[in-house]
Amino acid sequence: MNLRALQADDAAAWDDAFHWLWPVAFSAAQAKLQPYLPAEVEDVAIESLEALVEKVRSLKSVEELKPLVASIAHHRAVSRLREWFTKTRGGGKTIPLDPLGEGGLADCPDPVADSPPVVLEQKELAQRLRRTIGELRPPTDAIMMDRFISELSYEEIARKHGIPIGSVGVYLKRGLETLRRIWGRREES
Amino acid sequence: MNDDHFFDLAMKVIAGQATEAERAELDGLVARQPKLKTEFERQQADVRLAREVLPLVSATQATTPELPAYARGRLQTKVRQTLGRPEASPPAGTDEQRRMMWRWRWLLGLATAAAAVALAMVLWQAPAPMIQVALLDTAGASRGSDAKELAGLQQTWNKAQVESFSSAEKAGAWETNWPGDGRRAVVKVLYDRPAGELRVLGRWKGKPFAKTFVVEQDFAAALNQAKRFIQEQTGG
Repeated sequence: MNLRALQADDAAAWDDAFHWLWPVAFSAAQAKLQPYLPAEVEDVAIESLEALVEKVRSLKSVEELKPLVASIAHHRAVSRLREWFTKTRGGGKTIPLDPLGEGGLADCPDPVADSPPVVLEQKELAQRLRRTIGELRPPTDAIMMDRFISELSYEEIARKHGIPIGSVGVYLKRGLETLRRIWGRREES
Repeated sequence: MNDDHFFDLAMKVIAGQATEAERAELDGLVARQPKLKTEFERQQADVRLAREVLPLVSATQATTPELPAYARGRLQTKVRQTLGRPEASPPAGTDEQRRMMWRWRWLLGLATAAAAVALAMVLWQAPAPMIQVALLDTAGASRGSDAKELAGLQQTWNKAQVESFSSAEKAGAWETNWPGDGRRAVVKVLYDRPAGELRVLGRWKGKPFAKTFVVEQDFAAALNQAKRFIQEQTGG
């Protein structure tokens, strides 16, 4: 990926960039919208890449692209959710459409709560995301995802990564400390 | 007290994967050492943060899905508009020739627009929504009031066949089974008798909509409200 070519409006470079960045925009939007507004995921992903076009001249390196796209998509998805919640709450008693599928809402973060990824400015969010990607080294990153996104048990994680079960907690503890250091706590942010 | 043991125990409890015995052990530890309560709360906050941040980290590593073809054109247009690739030069010729050309272009544009509007008026007619209606009564369907309510549902949506369910599971399966190909609105109306609710769920133009009407004394009024809501949402 050549940032200069993008900044110089090279159509072929943009074509490559859109193919490369689409999964990022789509996945970031999907993470927020899928349980509530799945039909809007593609729309938000397109808008996010359009917004990237407007910001590309302010970037200094290609490594900024993915975190920036993810942060734009995240912010736009949160805005959509807020609009939707406002509209539905104002329009009479409503029911959520299969929120989070089988698992329900128990123990899951409020999708529009004022957590660091929601309250941070887009640029700041992208910077912290970039730091996180840099500091959360393998296999800690994969073990964290397995635990906190896929909700695997310690035993399943140990089997998957071929590590002793006693090491799983060590990786998780280290990973959580890294996140806390980069993102700060809610009350501190 | 081993820190790692407490961490692992708390992780299990926070994830809802702890056994009764493990939960009791954690409660006992916290009761004996109050500072562990603070540690537990910090761990809960850390997990909440991880659940917010990790999907974004994961998104930056995603390699699927593929960019849809329709999005590519729209995005390339945005690039041209924003980063300013020059448009084609204006046609050469005298001022008078250019003025004539613009007049013709204007007339041609007007004629095209008029034809498009006329064609749209002929072709466009919103297809009627597909409405499915059901009644859930876990107490059985033999009472007189059921028959009256069934008749009310049938009368309000006379093209629909009203289905009856005696279990919430079956009604739930019906509510989540969506027919149609997206070319017309699909609406499901479920009268949940035990809950005293008339639920409307629908999908139109790729967007879901839903509203619940509480049935108090007047079932007919709730039916009318639901019918109006469907018309507002689907235009049909």
